[in-house]
Amino acid sequence: MSLFAQLSAIICPIFICAAIGFFWKKTGQGLDPDLVTTLVYKISVPCLIIATFSKVVVTPQALASLGLASIFLLILNGILGALLLRIFRLPFPSYLPAMTFSLVGSMGLPVCLFAYGEEGLAHGLVVFTITSIGTFTVGAALAAGKVSVDKLLKEPAIWAALAAILMICAGWKLPVWMSNTSWLLGGIAIPLQLISLGASLAQFEVSSLGRAFSLTIVKLGLGFGLGFSLAELFGLSGISRAVLILQAIMPVAVSNYMFAVIYKREPTEVAAMVIVSTAIAAISLPLILAWLLTGG
Amino acid sequence: MSVLLEIATIIAPLFVIAGIGFAWGRSGMPFDTNMIGGLVVNFAVPCLIFSTLTRLEVDISDFGAAAGMFSLAVGANIVASAILLRLMRRDIGTFLPATVFANNGNMGLPLCLFAFGEEGLALGISIFVVSASANFLLGISFVSGKLSLRETIKAPHLYVVMAALGFLFAEVQPPAWLANTTYIIGGMSIPLMLIALGVSLARLTVSSFGQSFILGLYRLGFGLGIGLILSWFFELEGVARGVLILQCAMPSAVLNYIIAARYDRKPDEIAGLVVGSTFVSLVTLPLLLLVAMQGPG
Repeated sequence: MSLFAQLSAIICPIFICAAIGFFWKKTGQGLDPDLVTTLVYKISVPCLIIATFSKVVVTPQALASLGLASIFLLILNGILGALLLRIFRLPFPSYLPAMTFSLVGSMGLPVCLFAYGEEGLAHGLVVFTITSIGTFTVGAALAAGKVSVDKLLKEPAIWAALAAILMICAGWKLPVWMSNTSWLLGGIAIPLQLISLGASLAQFEVSSLGRAFSLTIVKLGLGFGLGFSLAELFGLSGISRAVLILQAIMPVAVSNYMFAVIYKREPTEVAAMVIVSTAIAAISLPLILAWLLTGG
Repeated sequence: MSVLLEIATIIAPLFVIAGIGFAWGRSGMPFDTNMIGGLVVNFAVPCLIFSTLTRLEVDISDFGAAAGMFSLAVGANIVASAILLRLMRRDIGTFLPATVFANNGNMGLPLCLFAFGEEGLALGISIFVVSASANFLLGISFVSGKLSLRETIKAPHLYVVMAALGFLFAEVQPPAWLANTTYIIGGMSIPLMLIALGVSLARLTVSSFGQSFILGLYRLGFGLGIGLILSWFFELEGVARGVLILQCAMPSAVLNYIIAARYDRKPDEIAGLVVGSTFVSLVTLPLLLLVAMQGPG
C-alpha cells in the first residue's frame, strides 16, 4: 500500500465520523450529550478496555514503562504549560487544562487502532486511561478550584482498567460470553465519540482565534517534543514509542470545554483552542504519521 | 464444548446488552430513541452491511438464495395470516404487518452473528434487507390503506447492498479508508440496536394481552414452521439452513408498533403482540437455537 493510501486509511475514518456528527447537528437534529456520555464512558469504554486487553497480549513491563511515560507526559505538559501561560500572562484555571489534556480518546484511540492494529489500540488505551484519571482529578480540580476523588471512583473505566491490569498480571482469561459481550459493547465507543466530537464542534461559540492559534501551535510543538524525548528516556521502541508520540500530539480535548462551561472559565476561549487545534491536527497528524510509518 | 454451553455463550451477550437497555428504559433516564434510531438506520446499519458483505466476499448465489427463500416465507405468511385474521374476525390491515414482519434486524442480526459468525451475519443481512424493505413497503401500505413507496426508497439499505455487490461482482477490494470507516461505524449497530430493543420493551405499555398474545404465538410458531419446511424443501444445510430458520422465527418487529402508533391503528394491541412475542421468543430461544444449529434430520 502506498503511503498516501496508508495515511488516508488512518485519517479518513476519523474525519468522516466527525463530519457525520457535525452535519447531524447542523441539520438541526438532536444529539443528547448525556445519553452519549453514558453510552460511551459508562458502558462502552470500560468494555473496550476489558475486551482489548483480554485479546491483546501485552507484558506487564511494557505496560508499566508506557504508563510511567504517559504520567510524566501529563506532569511535564502541565508544568511547561503553566510556565508558558505565566509568560503570556494568562489565567491558569481557564487555559491550563486545555494546554495539558489532549484528545487521546476520540481521536487518539482510532489513530492508534488504524495505524498499529489492536496492539496499537491496547497501547493507546494505556495513555488514554492515565489521561482520564488526570482529567477527572487534576483537570476538574483546576477548573473547579477544588480536588474531588469520589468523581474518579465513580468512573467505570477506572475499574475496568484495574480489572485489565489484574487480568494481565495474573494471566486470567475471560469466559467467551463475557469477552464477546464486552467486545460488542466496546464497538460503540470510537464511532460515537467521534460523532459527538463533530457535533460539539458544530455548536461551539468561539472567540479570539488569534490567541488560540498561537497557544495551540505551542501546545502541539510541546507535545511532540515531550513525546519524543520521553520515549527516548524510557527506552520505548516500536509501537509503544509511536503511540506515545501520537497521543502526545493530539489536539485539545473537548472535555476541557465541558469543564470550562460548567465552571464558567471562559468557555469561548477554550472552544477556540479545541477547534483551531483540531484543524491544525488535520495537517500535522498526517505528517507525523508519515514520519512514524516510514521508520522515523 | 457441550451444546448447552455453546447456546449459553450465544445468548448471553444478547441478554446482557438488551438487559442494559431494558434497565435503562425502566430507570426512567432519558433515552432519545429517535437519535439512536436515526444514527443506526442512516449510518451504522448501512456501514455494517457494506463492511460485512465486502470483507467476507460472500457467495453471491447464497446471498440471493437466502433473500429469495425468505421472500417465499413472507409470501406464505401473508396468505396464512390473512386467513387466520379473517377466521378470528380481526382487521387484516391493522394486524397483518405485525404477524408477518419480524424483528430481523435488532434481534435477528445479533443472533445470526453469535450463532454462525460473520458468514451467518452476511446471510442474515440478506434476509434483513428483504424484510426491512417489505416491512416499510407493505407494512405502511397495509396500515395506511394505500401503496406507499416513499419510505422504502428513502431507506439506505438497498443502495448499500447494491454498492457492496458492485464491489463483489467487479472483484475489487474497497479502498482501505472506506473499509476502515464502514467497519468502525458498523460496529455500533448491533450493540445500539440491542440496547434500543431493550429500551423499547421496557417502555411499551401493554394494556391487555388476550388475542394479541395468541397472534404473537402464531408469529413465532408459523415462522419456525415455514422456516423448517423451506429449509427441508430446498435441502439447505449448515449456516444457510440455520440462518433461514432463525430469521423466520423472530418475534414481531418493533417497527410494526411505530407504524401502528403513527397511523393510530390499535397501537395498544400491536404493542401487546410485539412485547408478548418478544418475551416468549426470549424464553424459547435456547430451543430455537438447538433446532437451528443441528443438522437436518
